[in-house]
Amino acid sequence: MAAEVVMPKLGLAMKEGTVSTWNKKVGDSVSKGDMIASINSEKIEMEIEAPQDGVILDILVQEDVGVPPGTIICYVGNPNEQLTEQSRSANELQAPKNEVAATISLEEPPVNATPSKKSKETVRISPIAKKIAESENINIETIKGTGPKGRITKADVEKVLTERASEASYSPSEIDTSSIKKETLPVAGMRKVIAGRMHNSLLNSAQLTINMKADVTDLLSLQREIKDVIHQRHEVKISLTDFIARAVVLSLQEHKQMNSAYMDNEIHLYHHIHLGMAVALENGLVVLVMQHAEKMSLVELAAEIKTRAADARQGQLGTDRMQGSTFTITNLGAYGVEYFTPVLNPPETGILGVGATEDVPIYKGDELQRRSVLPLSLTFDHRVLDGAPAANFLGTIKQYLEQPILLLL
Amino acid sequence: MKPLVVIGGGPAGYVAAITAARQGKQVTLIEQKDLGGTCLNEGCMPTKSLLASAEAYEKIKQAEQFGITLPLEQVKINWDGVQHHKTTIVKKLVQGIGYLMKKNKIKVMKGEASFLTNHRLAVQNENQVEEVEAEQFIIASGSEPASLPFAPFDGKWIIHSGQAMSLPAIPSSLLIVGGGVIGCEFASIYSQMGAKVTIVEAADQLLPGEDADIAFTLQEELEKKGVAIYTSASLTEMQPEYKTALFKHKEELHELQVDYALISIGRKPRVLGLGLEKIGVHFSKQGIDVNEHMQTNVPNIYACGDVVGGIQLAHVAFHEGTVAALDACGKDKNVNYRAVPRCIYTHPEIASVGMTEKQARQEYGDVRIGEFSFTANGKAMITNEPIGKVKVIVEPQFNEIIGLSIIGSHATELIGQGTVMLHGELTTDVMEDFIAAHPTLSEAIHEALLHSAGQAVHS
Repeated sequence: MAAEVVMPKLGLAMKEGTVSTWNKKVGDSVSKGDMIASINSEKIEMEIEAPQDGVILDILVQEDVGVPPGTIICYVGNPNEQLTEQSRSANELQAPKNEVAATISLEEPPVNATPSKKSKETVRISPIAKKIAESENINIETIKGTGPKGRITKADVEKVLTERASEASYSPSEIDTSSIKKETLPVAGMRKVIAGRMHNSLLNSAQLTINMKADVTDLLSLQREIKDVIHQRHEVKISLTDFIARAVVLSLQEHKQMNSAYMDNEIHLYHHIHLGMAVALENGLVVLVMQHAEKMSLVELAAEIKTRAADARQGQLGTDRMQGSTFTITNLGAYGVEYFTPVLNPPETGILGVGATEDVPIYKGDELQRRSVLPLSLTFDHRVLDGAPAANFLGTIKQYLEQPILLLL
Repeated sequence: MKPLVVIGGGPAGYVAAITAARQGKQVTLIEQKDLGGTCLNEGCMPTKSLLASAEAYEKIKQAEQFGITLPLEQVKINWDGVQHHKTTIVKKLVQGIGYLMKKNKIKVMKGEASFLTNHRLAVQNENQVEEVEAEQFIIASGSEPASLPFAPFDGKWIIHSGQAMSLPAIPSSLLIVGGGVIGCEFASIYSQMGAKVTIVEAADQLLPGEDADIAFTLQEELEKKGVAIYTSASLTEMQPEYKTALFKHKEELHELQVDYALISIGRKPRVLGLGLEKIGVHFSKQGIDVNEHMQTNVPNIYACGDVVGGIQLAHVAFHEGTVAALDACGKDKNVNYRAVPRCIYTHPEIASVGMTEKQARQEYGDVRIGEFSFTANGKAMITNEPIGKVKVIVEPQFNEIIGLSIIGSHATELIGQGTVMLHGELTTDVMEDFIAAHPTLSEAIHEALLHSAGQAVHS
């Protein structure tokens, strides 16, 4: 019997997933465990495996189209197996309407497969929903059903009526756009989430960025001195980022108002520090969360960051490890960026941007020395605290980085 | 899969635990008392057992009408036997749940749970405290009987429903404060067993959530059994030392001396003592706030069953527990209250689904009503249970069936048909051609549907 392959739910908050690549097409043979598609959802990418041996009987969701978790994305079954009209109609109702037509790639249709075009006879709809739809001249094929297996309910029809009533009588002027060449990229999956979150961040907070630079010459020497020992003892390659993370954690413990969230006109101060760290992936950005970073030593924190980053790059980071951060660090130093304006990761109060270390001549007393300086950019929510306490917080980070021995304690 | 802890082993909790375990979760269930919760130990099951004994007694007294001669004067209720029947059933059912826990590899811990953080619980059992960590939690701590501020339960004279089902003997007199589902069921049990029962209800009818004419039919039947019923009445004073209650009815003060006073004015969610305030879960006296997935404002914590308030019925708790568990396991599942049957196990039974006539008229203005009495139903006559009727409420424009109420024998079984009709959003024309088996009580439902369309055959 044909097996349904559904869009998995990869975390509590997941609302939508996208097939980024189909590795198989309709009619292709598959063995159980074969990678048939790559999907991404919000901030996770993962591979979908064939649930059983067989052939791909039908593909219902095209690449780059977001669908809710639970939506059937394809069928795997026996080569000559015929999908029942009932199961097909259920699928079609589950997937968003306009996208379904484009998803069904029948270049190599399975033998005896029935056409998947939805007809009124196969639409699952309750008697009362059907009557109301008929009386209001609503084409039932256009209604998205939310009942069992996509059955159209009375509430679904009433929703269409409400939407119809609220639609403005807007008719865009007719412009011939056929001669304009353009390329559109779908905003789906991870990009959609990042777009939404960053836009909301700027819309819903009062962001202000201040800059400061820290002399990290001594820190870099210390790192050189201890990195081999730490690597031998703990199998962790300690990096500048790890020291910065530790400095931030210690500073947050001293400046509790920065470790907070502005929610419902209240400031929520956290007693724990779940340190977020933005990591760029091939096609997006994730924020790793090091839970209870305040309980970790420098080495423990470094090990946690390495583990989480590796998980993220392999697409194995659970959403629970990407949520709940109380303060975030973002680093563009590797790209040569000096100062920049980080955007808050809502509902957090602060985010620290780290730039590229640069060697510069600095007077130490009367003596000109070659020193390494690290640009730091702190964006904070001005609704929670003002410039002076924010500057004090940034100053504390600077102090820790300039007296690195304190980071080892 | 990450560990999940369920707090409470009642209908919501044990179903949630089983559902989550079947999804591959490592599940621990924490219960203070016995598995099965209020439903099994102090609610649905024991009361239905008492009702069954009362009805068997009633039926035996009708033996002559069925052509059976008995020395009726020797037919008596053996209260110890009634209690034994009840406790045997409860014990078997509790064991059954214990078996299900083992079968689904669910660890059961005894004790009282309280959150320390949103990932850690303290479980206190007598003087020992054990800490349990988990990724997710489902709170299903249930509810407890609400008391009157001026008449707290003493378990001796002022009693709640849990105590009313295990009295040392059949009381000679019983005051029931609150003529809702629980009050009416106890009135039915004890009046059939010979107690002099009095109901004091603040609303203007018994069963305020049900159709007025259905509730009135029950009132008449209870009164035939000697139950004194005072609606629009209010309790003013309780004097436990004299076993005397004072209540006001139609500006007149009544004084009543009874063996027991049962307070059945509803149930309140068990939200205190769980440490919810510590971890920021939003709740009020009405229960824990949840969304359509039964998820609280703290994303890794779910709540279901009586503790969320709403419809406090075991079958709703089963559904909510399933939804909570599936959502916690990554399945996008919503609760569906589209058609919740309401069952009252009085004698005669009452069951309904959807709107009452009053609610329907408020919503739709004019509605169509179809009725059929069991007095005209062959099966009801054969079993000598002709009291009652089926009442169907139909929305006039599209003929949608929006409510069905039944009073009569086996109403709580028959309502399943109405539940399907409302869940399936059926219209009367879809139902006109359905064939009801003959002779059955179900025929009354078909006739009521036909009646709503002006096509009744047998009335």
